Amino acid sequence: MTDATSGSISLSGDTPQQLQRRKGIGFVSQDAALLPWRTALENVRLPFQLNTNSAKSESLTTAEQTLNAVGLAEFAGYYPHQLSGGMRQRVAFARALAISPGLLLMDEPLSALDEMTREEMRYELLQLWERQRPTVIFVTHSIPEAVVLSDRVVVLSPRPGEIVDDIVVNLPRPRLQEVERSDQFLEYTYRVKDALSSGIPAATPIA
Amino acid sequence: MESPLQRQSPEAPGKDAAPNQSSTARQSLFAARAITVGYIVPPGIALALAIGIWEAWVRAASIPVYIVPAPSVVIARLTGDFGFFALHGGITLAEALAGFALGAAVAFTGATLMAHSRFLERTLFPIAILVKVTPIVAVAPLFVIWFGFGSLPKVFIASLITFFPVLVNAMVGLRAVNPGALDFFRSLHASRTETYLKLRLPGSLPYLFAAFRISIPLSVIGAVVGEWFSGDRGLGSVIIVAHSNLDMPTLFSAILVLAFIGITLTVITTYVERKMLFWHDSTMAF
Repeated sequence: MTDATSGSISLSGDTPQQLQRRKGIGFVSQDAALLPWRTALENVRLPFQLNTNSAKSESLTTAEQTLNAVGLAEFAGYYPHQLSGGMRQRVAFARALAISPGLLLMDEPLSALDEMTREEMRYELLQLWERQRPTVIFVTHSIPEAVVLSDRVVVLSPRPGEIVDDIVVNLPRPRLQEVERSDQFLEYTYRVKDALSSGIPAATPIA
Repeated sequence: MESPLQRQSPEAPGKDAAPNQSSTARQSLFAARAITVGYIVPPGIALALAIGIWEAWVRAASIPVYIVPAPSVVIARLTGDFGFFALHGGITLAEALAGFALGAAVAFTGATLMAHSRFLERTLFPIAILVKVTPIVAVAPLFVIWFGFGSLPKVFIASLITFFPVLVNAMVGLRAVNPGALDFFRSLHASRTETYLKLRLPGSLPYLFAAFRISIPLSVIGAVVGEWFSGDRGLGSVIIVAHSNLDMPTLFSAILVLAFIGITLTVITTYVERKMLFWHDSTMAF
């Protein structure tokens, strides 16, 4: 979507453009970014109606199944303005997952939600992920979110965004809510925290 | 503004969604009725009062009919020769709507081109502004010379006057897309046409309707101005003729018909807008 400053990206031998062309990338943005004039189901069908010369063609049942998987089968005919923030975000997940992408890009997908919903959604996301197990690149500002969801946490420093640490998370899967109470989990969060604070120059006072 | 559904917890999807929905529907029906009463009765009384005072004043002061006719005289003139006013009103309405359709179509095409190319925007937009700032009344006589005494110059004047609001709003609307949705379209390698038809075009509708609400009454002005300058058909020419004969009842009747056309068009536009933009914040005000 944005051109690289330098270097190149290779995804199992493909360029991102090739993968996009084959509809191999799922995308979820910060706000759900649904089309407000389409119902939940029509929003999930959208990826099948775009770039139609690719192999992944229209399938109503797939869309319905995916909506079912995020627990919104009963809300198929509802418009986004009739749904709660959490539900809208789940429709956005379904929309991204409907095409069974090999790569899922998630740009702070839970950041617009309230704290309670946000914590629940972490585990819903993990369950969803288990169905297809795509590669996910998940951007977040929440340390527990990063540790709970990831196999690998890459910590970036603020301006310029450079990698300060690359942490492999070895928590057993499937991970359930209890994981957040384990010592291992706490250890990982502290490591991420330390990496984050090391990325901020000590002399920078907060204005 | 917020429906009860939005406050429903995500753990209980749909359990009481159906009753919720029907009760909100019923509530909004009551609300709509209350609004209708609240919005129609007070101005109706005010208008009736004003007409009553006008009638009493004209009679009491015995004002001559060639200065100000009494409302009863105007109504008598209007109903007495209703076919005449309906015919000329219909002509003006047809010219206005044809002009609006033409102006809006050209404007929307132009906006589509300009929204996709900064170069075209830089080239064409200044010309559009030039058209906009030129007083329409100054151009009207010219159109008569070019396009004759029939309906054509009126249609063109009406289209010229409707053009600019539609152009500007369509351009803003076509560009004002949700960035997240645009990224999603890009992530799937959607074509420009797909992005236009499935994202930009429906997204621009709220802006378009805002323009229509300005442009449609303007198109009636355009048609009337055109009729002032030439021809013997339409309410504009009825007004000119009545004016030169000091035939005030006819002149007032023509104005009344024009006001009626304006209100009817506005009501229809609002109705269509509500139906089409049910998903947009602007229609959820009640």
